[in-house]
Amino acid sequence: MTDMTAAAVATQGVTGPKVRYKSPTARGRLPVLVLFLPPALLLFTLFVILPMGEAAWYSLYRWNGYGTPTEFVGIRNFTVLFNNGAFSQALINNGLIIVISLLLQIPLAIWLATMLAHKIAGVVAFRLIFFLPYVLADVAAGLIWRFVYDGDYGLFAAIAGFFGVATPYVLADRDLAIYAVLAVIVWKYFGFHMMLFIAGLQAVDKSVLEAAEIDGATGWQKFRYVTLPLLGSTVRLSVFFAIIGSLQLFDLIMPLTGGGPSNSTQTMVTFLYTYGVTRMQVGLGSAVGVVLFVICITLAFGYKRIFMRHD
Amino acid sequence: MASVELRDVRKAYGAVEVIHGVSLAIDDGEFIALVGPSGCGKSTLLRMIAGLEEISDGEIFIGGTVVNPLTPRERNIAMVFQSYALYPHMTVAENMGFNLKLSGVAKPDIERRVGEAARMLALDELLDRKPSQLSGGQRQRVAMGRAVVRDPAVFLFDEPLSNLDAKLRVQMRTEIKTLHHKVGTTSVYVTHDQIEAMTLADRIVVLNGGRIEQVGTPLDLYRAPVNVFVAGFIGSPAMNFLDADVDADAGGPAARLTDGTVIRLDPSSAVKRGQAVKLGLRPEHIVPGASEGGSVVAGQTLVVEPTGAQTHVVFMLAGEAVTAVVDGAFPARYGAPFEAAIAAEQVHVFDRRSGLAL
Amino acid sequence: MTDTTTQVRMTAATRLYLYVSLSLVAALVLVPLVTTALGGFKSLGDLRTSPFGLPSDWVWSNYTDILFGERYWRQMANSLFIAVMTVFLTVVASAMAAFTFAHVRFFGSGHLMNYFLIGLMFPVATAILPLFIRIRDLGLLDSYWGVILPQVAFGLGMSILLFRNYFRNLPEELFQAAFVDGCGYIRFFWYVSLPLSRPIVATVSIVTFVNSWNSYILPLIMLNTETKYPWPLGIMVYRGEFGTEWQLVLAFITLTILPTVIVFFLAQKHIIAGLTAGAVKS
Repeated sequence: MTDMTAAAVATQGVTGPKVRYKSPTARGRLPVLVLFLPPALLLFTLFVILPMGEAAWYSLYRWNGYGTPTEFVGIRNFTVLFNNGAFSQALINNGLIIVISLLLQIPLAIWLATMLAHKIAGVVAFRLIFFLPYVLADVAAGLIWRFVYDGDYGLFAAIAGFFGVATPYVLADRDLAIYAVLAVIVWKYFGFHMMLFIAGLQAVDKSVLEAAEIDGATGWQKFRYVTLPLLGSTVRLSVFFAIIGSLQLFDLIMPLTGGGPSNSTQTMVTFLYTYGVTRMQVGLGSAVGVVLFVICITLAFGYKRIFMRHD
Repeated sequence: MASVELRDVRKAYGAVEVIHGVSLAIDDGEFIALVGPSGCGKSTLLRMIAGLEEISDGEIFIGGTVVNPLTPRERNIAMVFQSYALYPHMTVAENMGFNLKLSGVAKPDIERRVGEAARMLALDELLDRKPSQLSGGQRQRVAMGRAVVRDPAVFLFDEPLSNLDAKLRVQMRTEIKTLHHKVGTTSVYVTHDQIEAMTLADRIVVLNGGRIEQVGTPLDLYRAPVNVFVAGFIGSPAMNFLDADVDADAGGPAARLTDGTVIRLDPSSAVKRGQAVKLGLRPEHIVPGASEGGSVVAGQTLVVEPTGAQTHVVFMLAGEAVTAVVDGAFPARYGAPFEAAIAAEQVHVFDRRSGLAL
Repeated sequence: MTDTTTQVRMTAATRLYLYVSLSLVAALVLVPLVTTALGGFKSLGDLRTSPFGLPSDWVWSNYTDILFGERYWRQMANSLFIAVMTVFLTVVASAMAAFTFAHVRFFGSGHLMNYFLIGLMFPVATAILPLFIRIRDLGLLDSYWGVILPQVAFGLGMSILLFRNYFRNLPEELFQAAFVDGCGYIRFFWYVSLPLSRPIVATVSIVTFVNSWNSYILPLIMLNTETKYPWPLGIMVYRGEFGTEWQLVLAFITLTILPTVIVFFLAQKHIIAGLTAGAVKS
């Protein structure tokens, strides 16, 4: 109490002009803002926003990364990019990954999730097994499958030998390699999507299913007309992650094929690495980054706006 | 301990003013209740005293000091919240001692003061528990203990009993009153429940629409409400209101209801002949049977609600449903005629236009 | 097949169908993993003739050589250091920033939050070249920090979002009670917000740790010295070195993923919840 009296004497009895008091809640704000915001702000600006802006800038230059970029080439990096067969292949592959995810991975995930929604013995163990590939590093998964596909030692060799046919060297085959890669992607990621659907199924109100049952719906009808529509938002979420995942696919490709043979398994990021980073073509690599960025932003906003606005 | 004074205190959110110039003086050691319907600004006013809400205009003094720019801690107030706001991760002792710890009080001192407060509130056994392991009443006591421990200048209560069930509420009400007698700290208590306000407070402040309607002791407000709002707010069951016109009667002023019933008024009422008024009849003042000097009110019984010792009888009078509180033994019956009387000095008269007591 | 509520009525046929289907998928998941682990015990010749089966002769030296060598442990230590530092810095920086967004009213708060959310939209690869040049110019190339700082920066968007949503859901009265008790913002953060945020700290930590532990592209670009390589990079070097000596590579893979598998089975509930919740909530 004593520390207030001085201030009190000064203000009390003053009846003339109104005294404006500083709000007590506002007083503590400055220190907390000065202490708490800068670390995140600095890191984020320095290592996320500025590089992104620089990518847009560098993409207009031809530059080997040393000194300052001076050789302005306009949009030539982009024209080079879109006339490059490997880049087109990368775009096609990224699209293919999304399509496979829609047609194969998500139905598989839903199917497994509905099976694991039963209260049968071993459910937890199955869930764990299915989720396991997702926690493994892409690099490790890629190497494991590199062995599986190996024509001399791996499982494919053994299977081929068992049936007495010539061993297919799938990863070395320009036409087959991408499908081999797609299989690994599904193997690695279906567990994650399955978990999303399990969570989605748990959120479905059981009494709605019981009401459907009382209405006379069979098991399939209940799934088709009640469960599946109620899973709508999870499906959209799952598709969203599949797209984002496809766009940044790199770690898995490198140990499997490195983008080969003859660029048949490039994705945008492996293309960026192969042509931009290893050859230090900063302009071209940055142009890939810009294209990737534009696609990401468009998809993120477009997808959220069109499909997820109600979620 | 300290007195509290509000001088023309205003609160505005942007252009919308929600507290319109409230002035109030609270004596040292007094227990004040702020009552009013929800949205009347009572909680906002309390939070302005606490320092949780900015004061748009006017000044608040605690112990003769302007506290507008001070934090709650500097104002030396303690507050009991509606949800108790106990720290879920701290034990009862830690919850109660947290303020002292922040002020840098030595550990043995904290333990001693927490111990004292715990004894006062019968919390000794619970000091090592976490809030989640306590019952509603115990949490309430911890919240009060947290306030007591620091020996503040002012206690602020923000509807502290509204989360308890009816029985516990009565019990805790008694405990709060006992506590106030023991420590004698100036207290400001916000509630929407007029019974809580009546039973606890030395003086009640009735708020409506961001303005003070009336300040006074519980009995003042009950006996002499200054307007229709206070009259209707204080008292349970609520006062009955009937439109009437002032007429002269043999012995003194009277009023005629729309159905012609004549109600005699207190001779001291400042009414003019022909004035449009609203009569206020408290249910407990409507006594069955005829009585000397009283006006007779009668009508058909609509509802009979026995509560045990008393029975609430709702009957039709001049086209309005009027409630009377009668003895539990009274043989009220649905549909039967009900006849009662009310003494002239018990009739409240308000101007119909301004709503002010006459 | 969607009889989620009526397991009592499940027929033997349904049960059989369920177990056969689930076991088939489980086999597809497990066979490559088990083959890898067993392959590490085989000789190269054994591997060539029977990649599936049990080793005809258990060659322990494949594993023991790696375990008694320095390389494996150094890579694990590198990965651990990078991951722990990344988690620590991410949690500290994002919890503090999120706290200001959740509790402190200030001009431009909403815009600044959206600024951080941009980080959710694109992968680190999009800016990898300018990032490389920046790290090089800062003199952080070939140092752990050159990997850690960008990882933290790219994790901030999601972590801040998760923290902010959590802080916002803490009861408002708790903040007021603490204010009355004499807390300022910083003491409230330290004494109340943080102790109450264990679940969300765990979620952010798990997501960040797993991402960092498995991260490949950033170390690949930022690090040059093999002694500083985290394991995903080291395993690729190892594979490059031993080429077709698959039995060694398989043993090495097995040992490197072993910590992940063990920790996953020990803390499966938290990890699954963390990784899926982290994804869904953001």
